[in-house]
Formats: sequence, structure tokens, C-alpha cells
Amino acid sequence: MIMTLKKYSLKRYRKYILPLILLLVVTEGAAIACGATFGKLETGLLNGLSFLGYMFPPDWSAFAEMVQPAFQSIVIAFLGTVFGTLLSVVFALLAAANISNPWVRNVTRFLIGLERSIPEIIILLLLIAAFGLGAMPGIIALALGCIGMLGKLLADTIEELDPVMMESMQSVGANKMQIIVFGVLPQIMPNLISYTLFRFEINIRLSVILGAVGAGGVGYELDYSFGMLQYHRAFTALLVIIIMIFGTERLSYMLRGRIKMEGALK
Amino acid sequence: MIEVRNLTKSLPNGRKLLDGISFKVNKGEFVGILGPSGAGKTLTLRCLNGLLKPDSGEVIIEDEKGVGHDICKVNKRELRRVRQRIGVIFQGYHLVKRLSALENVMIGRLGQISTLRSILYGFTDEEAAGALEALGKIKIAHLAENKTGNLSGGEMQRVAIARAIFQMPTLLLADEPISNLDPSSAKVIMKLIRPLSETMPVVGVFHQPEMTAKYCTRVIAIKDGKVIYDGDPKLSNDMLVEIYGEELSLIEQQEHAVPPPLIATN
Repeated sequence: MIMTLKKYSLKRYRKYILPLILLLVVTEGAAIACGATFGKLETGLLNGLSFLGYMFPPDWSAFAEMVQPAFQSIVIAFLGTVFGTLLSVVFALLAAANISNPWVRNVTRFLIGLERSIPEIIILLLLIAAFGLGAMPGIIALALGCIGMLGKLLADTIEELDPVMMESMQSVGANKMQIIVFGVLPQIMPNLISYTLFRFEINIRLSVILGAVGAGGVGYELDYSFGMLQYHRAFTALLVIIIMIFGTERLSYMLRGRIKMEGALK
Repeated sequence: MIEVRNLTKSLPNGRKLLDGISFKVNKGEFVGILGPSGAGKTLTLRCLNGLLKPDSGEVIIEDEKGVGHDICKVNKRELRRVRQRIGVIFQGYHLVKRLSALENVMIGRLGQISTLRSILYGFTDEEAAGALEALGKIKIAHLAENKTGNLSGGEMQRVAIARAIFQMPTLLLADEPISNLDPSSAKVIMKLIRPLSETMPVVGVFHQPEMTAKYCTRVIAIKDGKVIYDGDPKLSNDMLVEIYGEELSLIEQQEHAVPPPLIATN
């Protein structure tokens, strides 16, 4: 009984007081150190709102100019995803313990992890140094960016495949290539498609960001309009970007839903 | 013909899993291997097609020309060649579930056709017809186009038999092929396997002495890694007790006893 009463006593909050004060002090200290104060937040918010006022209304006449760059962004994301998926499948096969040998597996897993820790923007900046500005480095950056996520997810999917199924193919004398084509690929296909669609969503968003950094497309239009102080035009670009991202998200969600339904049947 | 000579296998801690297993199976024989769980039945079978290397001993398998190969000593390439002629039916559902029944049957020939042709799913008309014929032999040709994942357990095991038939092996191994099946499906599978022994030796691992008594031509009992019985498929009660222990006879006695009434009558 006494235990239960103690459980609801107000006194139990006492032990949180000191950590809470400490947290506040540290937060405030950090905010002052980097110059982020509540005052700044307030002026910033007000500035942002009036800025939105400048941008409104969107420049509808620029809408037609946005279609082509938007299309370019989608193409960059699409090609990046296609090449990225192909690369990821190869990496995943090399990184799966039940297909690959232990040494190759560990090296590949390390490379996949390494890729995951490098943001796409940094890959793009390195590639721009090599290829110059344009869609090409954007596509390559997105393709390489797939490996960290898709490679890992697919390798894990492959490792979870039924070992008896693999053994039974081995036992008819099938070689590794044949086991991959007849056993592994058909079995991981639903996951492969689902992950790839999800990655395509991410790549659409990334292609806009990479565009602003130098890969072209609608992200570049946004950045350019801001730079030229054409805020109404920038607003149009922003709207196109939102429509584009929202559209692909809905489409990918719908398609992924279908795959799940098919998987549930078996 | 397959001959096993003095097979041994131990765990690193010295525990003997297989302790000098020897037997010989000729064409025309359907041998059922019985024994309690952990006796070494499945282990023995895995040694027979080279999925497992024994510590010592020989497994001589005669190919279609009558030349014997010791599967424990061949290199990787030769092992694949010997395996092409060994059909295996595994426990449970070892088919590629997302491929059709017909494609699963075709997997039986993978070891015998070129890698390039197989990864394009390029089978000749004769091969396709042969695969369909194999399904016809076990009377499930109408399921050829169905995804195996949607078939029942009994149907899947039939597809596995069709695959073994299509493979044209000179030896058939079966690892608990009827363990996951209801009694009537189990009987169907046994009836389908038995005639295959007319053209090749058939060795199967079973947990059902009543089934092996009915369908096998010979029974080998393994206990603690040793062959303790080799002969007539109809085992005496004493032998069954020796294989499975006292519990079995206890169950038999209870079966003959008058069961207590389910509802107390007053």
C-alpha cells in the first residue's frame, strides 16, 4: 500500500529538478554561443512572413518555363534510381552471407556502410569537380546514393531467404549464377520493387536539392530566381516542386500498396 | 547403385554424430531410413549428395555409365556434375515460391544446361514439353502455370517429385518428404515415389514406420549414429521399441486400452 501511495507523491518530481535546470543552462549557453536567440527567432519569423508576402502571388507566366526543368529533375531522379538499383543489387548479392564468401561480404558491407555515411550533396560536389555542372553528376550522385540504403536492405532480404530452397537448387547441380537468377531474384522481387519505389521518392526530393547545388532542373530554377530577386517566379518554382514531390509520393504509395497486397496473398 | 562405407562425423567437442554408417542400395530398392530425432538420419542423407562432408568414409555413387564416383573426394566442379544425377526431395516446402510450378520443374535441369541459356530462362521446346510431361506423370499438369506459393503442401511436394523426375537422376534422395503432410497426401506422395525405384535406387528418411512398412522395400534404422537394423520393412514391436524407446510401446498399449468416457455419467 505504502509503495503505491509513494508512486503518486508529488515529491517524486524532485529528482528531475536539477537535470532540468542543467538542460536549460546548457541550451541557453549553446544558443548564445552560436547566436541563436529568441529575439532572433521572432524577427526571423516576422521577416519570413513578410517575405512570403513578397513572393505572393506566384508568377503564373513563369509556369510554362518550369515544366521542362521539373521534367529534368524527374528524369535525373528516375535514371539515378534505375542505375542505383542495378548497382545495389550487385552490391547486395556480394554482401549477402548466403551467396558471397565471408571476406567479400565483409568488405562489401563496409563499403555500403561507408556510402551511407556520406551525404549525396558531398558526393555531388566531388563529382562536379570531376564532371562539371549538369545532370550527369546528379544522376551518378543519386545512383551511388542508392547503394547505402538499397544495398543494405536487399542484402538483409537475401540473407533471410529460405536456406533449404537454396540448398535444393544447389543439389540439382545449379551454379551460383543460376541460383541467383532462379532462386534469389524472383524471391526478393517484391521487396526490390517496394524499396526501389521508396528510394525513388527520396531521390525526387534529393534531385531538387542537388539541382540547387548544380545538377540543374527545377531546384536550379528556384535558386536562380531567388538569386535574381524574382520572388514571384521563385514561388512558382516552389509550387511546382511541391506538386512534383507530393505527386510522386502518392503514386509510389499507391504502387507499393499493391505490391503488399500481392505479397499477402501467398 | 549407391554404396556408403564407414561414414563418420563428429562435433568439435568429440561427440560422434555418425559412427561408422555403412549400407548399399541397388536399383529397384526403396529404402526407408528410420530413427529417433537426432540419430543422424538427415545427416547421413546430406552426406549422400555432398551437402555435408563426413570426417571419414566413402559415398560411392554410380553414374549412368556404371562408373562409381566418391562424392566425398570429388572437387567442386565434379561435385556439381555428380549432383546433376541426384534427385532430392527435401522436407517441407523448398520450392521457389514466386516461380510457377513449371519453372520449378525446369530448375531440375539447371545443372545440365549452359549458364548463359539458363539465366535467360531459355529452355528448348523439348525441355519445356518434358517438364510439362513430368507434371502430367503426377497428374498436376493443370497447375503448371500456378505460382507454387499458392499451392497446398501436398501439391508442392508433388511439384518437387516432378522436378526430380524431370532431372532424370540415377539416384533419388528424400528427406522427410511427408512430414508436413496430412495422412492422405502423405500416402499419395509415397505412392508416387515408390515406382521411381524401378529405374533408380531411392533412399528416404522417414518418421512414420507404418508408411515405410507399407511402401518401402527395405528399412534401415539408425540410432546414435549407428545402423542398428537393416532388412525387412515390417518391423517387429521389439525393434520399434529398440529404435524409439519405451515411450512408443506405452502409446501402443494405451491405444488398445478402453478410453475413459469423455463425459462422466451418473
